[in-house]
Amino acid sequence: MHNAYEVVPGTIYNIIQESPLIRTLQIRPERPIKFLTGQFVELSLPGIGEGPFTPSSSHYTSDVMDITIMKTGFVTEYIHKTSIGDTVGIRGPYGSRYPLEKFHNKDILILGGGCGLAPLRSLFLTLLHDIDQYNSITFLAGAKTPKDCIYKELFAEWKKYNKVKIYRSVDIVPEGDSWDEEVCLVTKLLQKIKIDPKDNPVIVCGPPVMMKFGTMDLLKYGYSENNIYLSMEKKMYCGFGQCRHCVIGGYYACKDGPVFTYAQIKNEEAIWE
Amino acid sequence: MLIKISDFYSFLDNISKGNNNIEVLIPVPVNGTERRFFFTRLNESNNYDLGFFRSVDPIKVLFYQPRESVLPISAKTVKRIIAGIKSCDMKAIQLLDKALVNNDFVDISYKNLRDSTYIITTDCTETHSSCHCTLLDGKPFTESGFDLNLSPVDDYYLITIGTDKGKELIELINQNYRLLDDNETVHMEISQLRNKIIEKLTNQNEKFLPRNHDDLREKDLAHWNEESKECIGCGACTNICPTCYCLILNDESTGKEFIKVRSYDSCQLHGYARVAGGASPRPKMYERFRNRYLCKFDYMKKNFGESGCVGCGRCTEACAAKIDFREVTQNISMITTTAKHSI
Repeated sequence: MHNAYEVVPGTIYNIIQESPLIRTLQIRPERPIKFLTGQFVELSLPGIGEGPFTPSSSHYTSDVMDITIMKTGFVTEYIHKTSIGDTVGIRGPYGSRYPLEKFHNKDILILGGGCGLAPLRSLFLTLLHDIDQYNSITFLAGAKTPKDCIYKELFAEWKKYNKVKIYRSVDIVPEGDSWDEEVCLVTKLLQKIKIDPKDNPVIVCGPPVMMKFGTMDLLKYGYSENNIYLSMEKKMYCGFGQCRHCVIGGYYACKDGPVFTYAQIKNEEAIWE
Repeated sequence: MLIKISDFYSFLDNISKGNNNIEVLIPVPVNGTERRFFFTRLNESNNYDLGFFRSVDPIKVLFYQPRESVLPISAKTVKRIIAGIKSCDMKAIQLLDKALVNNDFVDISYKNLRDSTYIITTDCTETHSSCHCTLLDGKPFTESGFDLNLSPVDDYYLITIGTDKGKELIELINQNYRLLDDNETVHMEISQLRNKIIEKLTNQNEKFLPRNHDDLREKDLAHWNEESKECIGCGACTNICPTCYCLILNDESTGKEFIKVRSYDSCQLHGYARVAGGASPRPKMYERFRNRYLCKFDYMKKNFGESGCVGCGRCTEACAAKIDFREVTQNISMITTTAKHSI
């Protein structure tokens, strides 16, 4: 019988320090781990613990996996102490994916902030792989300060695609930092772009407060509740709806999510906490 | 069919002493102000009775242990007979079956213990002061899920066979003991005995109305605040609840291997749903207090198609603040103002 708690050991073959608090681990698992973009895995360090993270690499790649992680708590602090060659464990993937087939021939809007760009990078890379299937992609990316911006080189690369438009903003530019793009909350970027909300999808991921106000703004702009896709992060301990920590009303963030439409969960409580 | 109660007890004794490696667990009373029962391994000094009412500990502890290694899976399981399980606990096991053995997930330790156990349920012959299964569509006797059910009538048990595993037990019994045919009179007598217990339950719960609590979630939050005032958030209610199965995982490796241990967790504890960075969907006590009721009557219904409360009353008995589950649900149900949630 398959043990759901079984982990696949993997070796960290590279580490990218994206910002002072965020790093991307590049991991080569002992055997390929197939996932669909939007799904998450449990990453564990032996003797320390594990946590849920959405891979930030394309789902067309399964022999290696990128996971972007912010230092926020006990486990992530240890993850930030790992070095190249260290062993980590991965189990999963778990949960729901981004429904790519619903995005075909659409003008896709992606709205992300901070470490919330991690799953969106996976989505974006997966979309790029089949770019002919989609009308256009507009990616709005925010960070607190220029130093907190992640995927710096990648964004420069992505801007070269015809069907892709990228707008980036930072909340503030501290003295001594340089920044030649927008300075505002990422949600304010919505005012600066041409929006066609009719039947088009928008995918949102970021800190809870950004998700909340981003969603409110998108509704005002006319996006349908069914077309707003949110990546909900809760305490997803087990990953398969058994531990119940991530329950959002009658839903499990781990099993029914982490990708929900706003329409699905709008009547549940404390979704933004 | 019928068996003499003394014969049945003798059968259990012989099984436990026999060389077929079957463990027998039975509820053993500990006398106090009110009779209390604990499931214990049968031995010669035990003085037991399979009737009465539910045990102090929920039966889940014998299938879903408070602390268990899930990677690697802990020790192999032995065959065992658990006799004297009551209807509320049987219902709880049926709910745990849905939660722990399904298409998405199988808790292997739980499944192993389930598969290796013969479940013998018995009709309640007494009630505990906190018992209230009848308020929640339950009955003080088991109708499904058991391998064998025993209904006492005079010096005999009426045996009902529920499964093929039950038939195996009957074959074992048949080797050394006489099974008698039952008749219409026996069934009538049992029905009368059962009704007497139902009546007792109805009387002891007369100030509470049976409800389905479908609308609990809509009730004004201020009243939850009021009801939870005495709650100290210790989590005793969830640990003792036969249908609570929330778990916490710890990695207990000392080297490079991956070892995972699961233990009970409680939604009443402050750190339960808190995530790294400090955000929590239920930072206040009354929110966590309310969550337990909503989990039982709303979320579990959505997840498993049935209510998570079996009416055993253990949470009431275990509560340090003497909060009565029945009173809380009754009080909240009477409220007519609705909750206002803002996004």
